[in-house]
Amino acid sequence: MSDEPRRLRYSLGRPIEPGTPFVDLVPPKEAGEPSTGQSSLARELRRARAARKKAAGTVDPRRRTATAPLEEDPRARRARRRFAALDPDAAVRAWFAEHGWAPFAFQEEVWGAYRRGESGLIHAATGTGKTYAAWMGPLLEWLRDYPAATRRAGAPPLRVLWVTPLRALAADTEAALRAPLIDLGIPWSLETRTGDTAPAARARQRVRLPSALVTTPESLSLLLTRENAAELFAHLECVVVDEWHELMASKRGVQTELDLARLRRFRPELRTWGLSATLGNLEAARDTLLGVDAAGRPRPGRLVRGLVPKAIGVDSLFPETIERFPWSGQIGLTLLPQVIAAVEEGGTTLIFTNTRATAEIWYQALALSGVAWADRIGLHHGSLDRAERERVEDGLRSGELRCVVCTSSLDLGVDFSPVDRVLQVGSPKAVGRLVQRAGRSGHRPGAMSRVTCVPTSALELVDIAGARTALEAGRIEARPPVERPLDLLAQHAVTVALGGGFRAAELYDEVRTTHAYRDLPRDEWEWVLDFITRGGEALRAYPEYAKAVLVDGTYRVTSRMIAMRHRMSIGTIVSESSLKVRYVRGRTLGTVEENFIARLRPGDRFTFGGQPLEFVRVRDMTAWVRKAPSAEGAVPKWSGLRLALSPELAHAVRAKLDEARRGIFDAPEMQQVRPVLELQAAWSLLPRPDELLIERTETREGHHLFFYPVEGRLVHEGLAALFAYRISQLGPITFTLAANDYGLELLSPERAPLEEALEAGLLSTEYLFNDIPASLNAAEMARRQFREVARVAGLIFQGFPGQAKSVKQLQASSGLIYEVFAKYDPENLLLRQAQREVLERQLEQSRLGRTLARLGSGTVTIVETERPTPFAFPLLVDRLREQLSSEKLSDRVRRMADPLERAAGPDVPAIPRFANLRSARPR
Amino acid sequence: MSDHEISLAGEAVRLLPERAIYWERERALVVADLHWGKAATFRAAGVPLPPGTTAGDLTRLDRALRRTGARRLFLLGDLFHAREGRRSGATLSAVAAWRAGHPALDVLLVRGNHDRHAGDPPDDLGMTIVNAPHHVAPFALQHEPAPVATASYALAGHLHPGFVMAGPARQRERLACFVIGARGAILPAFGSFTGTLAISARPDDRVYVIADDAVIAVSSLAGR
Repeated sequence: MSDEPRRLRYSLGRPIEPGTPFVDLVPPKEAGEPSTGQSSLARELRRARAARKKAAGTVDPRRRTATAPLEEDPRARRARRRFAALDPDAAVRAWFAEHGWAPFAFQEEVWGAYRRGESGLIHAATGTGKTYAAWMGPLLEWLRDYPAATRRAGAPPLRVLWVTPLRALAADTEAALRAPLIDLGIPWSLETRTGDTAPAARARQRVRLPSALVTTPESLSLLLTRENAAELFAHLECVVVDEWHELMASKRGVQTELDLARLRRFRPELRTWGLSATLGNLEAARDTLLGVDAAGRPRPGRLVRGLVPKAIGVDSLFPETIERFPWSGQIGLTLLPQVIAAVEEGGTTLIFTNTRATAEIWYQALALSGVAWADRIGLHHGSLDRAERERVEDGLRSGELRCVVCTSSLDLGVDFSPVDRVLQVGSPKAVGRLVQRAGRSGHRPGAMSRVTCVPTSALELVDIAGARTALEAGRIEARPPVERPLDLLAQHAVTVALGGGFRAAELYDEVRTTHAYRDLPRDEWEWVLDFITRGGEALRAYPEYAKAVLVDGTYRVTSRMIAMRHRMSIGTIVSESSLKVRYVRGRTLGTVEENFIARLRPGDRFTFGGQPLEFVRVRDMTAWVRKAPSAEGAVPKWSGLRLALSPELAHAVRAKLDEARRGIFDAPEMQQVRPVLELQAAWSLLPRPDELLIERTETREGHHLFFYPVEGRLVHEGLAALFAYRISQLGPITFTLAANDYGLELLSPERAPLEEALEAGLLSTEYLFNDIPASLNAAEMARRQFREVARVAGLIFQGFPGQAKSVKQLQASSGLIYEVFAKYDPENLLLRQAQREVLERQLEQSRLGRTLARLGSGTVTIVETERPTPFAFPLLVDRLREQLSSEKLSDRVRRMADPLERAAGPDVPAIPRFANLRSARPR
Repeated sequence: MSDHEISLAGEAVRLLPERAIYWERERALVVADLHWGKAATFRAAGVPLPPGTTAGDLTRLDRALRRTGARRLFLLGDLFHAREGRRSGATLSAVAAWRAGHPALDVLLVRGNHDRHAGDPPDDLGMTIVNAPHHVAPFALQHEPAPVATASYALAGHLHPGFVMAGPARQRERLACFVIGARGAILPAFGSFTGTLAISARPDDRVYVIADDAVIAVSSLAGR
């Protein structure tokens, strides 16, 4: 590490003009303290942690009860003497000065606004003082309201709730919030409440909450199920929602909205502050957080602009020779030597990947590459055990780790000092993601944030070039909030029924103050009430069923079993059923999905968390493993979301392809990908912006149609279903569908009547209203989406941890439940919601309609190609496929059963039969 | 309806798309894994599922009995899904109504793993209840497809077998199936609110899949 003191990205308090780089500033060195290359905030965090540890004695600080009186801390005593004479504003200013900071203008703006009772949203880059902008307001107010002389002993009851999207962030946040409490001698108690909180702390929090609580949306909902919820929150002044951009576009955001509406009922004067990264729709982000008033008008709130990142540089690594990009496009780890060179160029490096499996693969490749720093590489992703993740985060803070391979698990505000270099493996898929990841890097004087992309296939070069263009034009993605999910409303109604009960009209008014449910029709609300009390509607109630019951006009939950099960299932995150991975003697490594483990036999090797492992057995929801001598065998795959190209980036990619068509290859990435694009032009063509290219190819697999609207995978999935549906209306045919960010494929055993379909209006926007839902059903896309709806609405019970066996008789797949509803209650609103979600979110219906309009108004060019083109190949090898058929099932199966027609047999594990049955799963 | 006639241990039987086997000589209908009252069990636990699954399955059972003119009904275990479902008034009255429609039918239940937890069906359903294996030569009626010591040919359920068919142009379809082996046969689960477990067939197994109203032989498994 260089001897030059690392520069901070905190500037003195003055307004930052848009586009002005951060002012670099050398932190005042403390006497005798060596230059650690850390920002003073990071140092402060460390100090706070040390203080916490010291105060806790030898007890694990995470388990320590935080109610130990702060007065005993000698630092606090000294601090009180130092700051006691000052008025609150001067004290906070002095506290900032002590750390070599001055408050930013935006921080003071927030403190002032808070004092006047305002709410709002603060947007700025990660690690630029948003936390203290939001935290100091409540502290200043308390210092003013309770001058030292009037303070009573003991911590006040809950005043501030701090909501964070990730449990992993809670510990860091708590440390950052604690520092000024200790220094300013504020006798608040501060605790964390997440899924990881120890039972003793939970029991204490059941009676009384600390003065400030750091928690997640799920844990907050859990607190609202307490019978005494209204008392617990009776003194709440402020809720801060951290990383709101991360929550707002998901059902977890809606859950937060509902919780806030509940808290505002308890405390009408409650102030709400959101912290967000830069988004394309900041006003909407603020309005979603603050909700609407009783008259349906958006609640007023301030939008505060904090420090925005200075210019961001995007560049790429390339293979040494352009021939290294095969026409098929996949290059995988080819760029490993260039990645190693890039890491060796600078200091600490973060290597971001898009999936956990990719992170595992790159980590392993780097660790085995023979570099001198092989033992100073970290791996960080969401399936690793918390202790392991924390070890890596600490390694980043201390500078021990040279390089960390990570996923979006490090996108959010885990606090560590900026690194020297950021690499992005694979397409960034969205401009905002690139900005966020770049923000983790370099703050040398005059340097700009920089991110280096590592393409893993040829066409990703076009994405990177497009991302740079979009970034320069300032086109950051908007995140649309989720509208009116009934599954979540049903869950919330049960939550409130538990937390003291509710009257129908009151809760209806309350939920309509959220942005998500502001237009909730009365009939849908009635349906939710029926759903939680009777199952079906009034006329056809479900027998035996009653989750909530109506007692004297109040909805309550009376069954202890149902209460317990509801508390276990709160939340909106749908996860594959997963197993712990643990050494036969020793620690837990993390979690993998059951699907992966089910394919392993004892003795099989696999790699997880960068460790070569040998699978021993499965017992008690745990996959027991031991260390294997060498890394061989599979890397687990997690079925997380596949990222899709954002509309902004898709637009930029189309523009880049058009430039290529006109022979313009100005970006270095475009130069690199030029041979591949020229091959595409030679075998087929590069489409004009107003031209839909359709390629038709016959292979051993059958007849392929490839369409290239270049609109991103989500839109293509919808178009694939729609096109397949419309063609299948012309006669019995079965299609297998695939979609990626560039296009879609329809594969059929016989030649599809494409020309006839185009004549009949394949691209027409007419009848879309009927054709889209019909095609979604035919392709079973709504059925897939139903899984999430069923989980949130409480139709699928994931079970108690460690007690999986006792709920065996309550296990059914969402597919099965979907069939039951489709057959016996087809009008059920949850089915309709699943469909609506596919339309609105998955397929971005409006985008789909716009795309069709664009395609329909332009020209269509059909090219018959002898073999799959560079555009077609990635679709050909994609394994995720849907089916859509207008043939009779029995006819289709008869054909499959014919040995002449049958393709290679499916690969399923052998089940022992008429033999040892112990390992067969009882049904 | 297209049944499939085959010979099992020298006996002529028909594989029915209703997910049942009909044994001609004994005029017996054989079904496995009915899981009556499964949705009711869910409802009792606070999971809102619409009623009608058990009633729908009983209609299908009626149809198979009527089409074949069976005198006897062999149930190969897992009749009731769980105790809660067995107590459900709606389920019990549907089952009682079905039984009243077949007063002369001789019903035999071979206990399965779910029956051990759910308890035996009520007496007024008039069933003979036995433990597995129960021998009706040349067959051994049982729930779990465990080996039989005798020379009997086993008829079993328990696994809810499903077969993944692969066709041209990457088509795939997972279907409930009969697996006919050298020493025994496994029936598909009769209950509609049950999943399937993908099985792999051995070269000497014969697999018959159910596609809507047809039973279709999957030919030539050798070399798979």
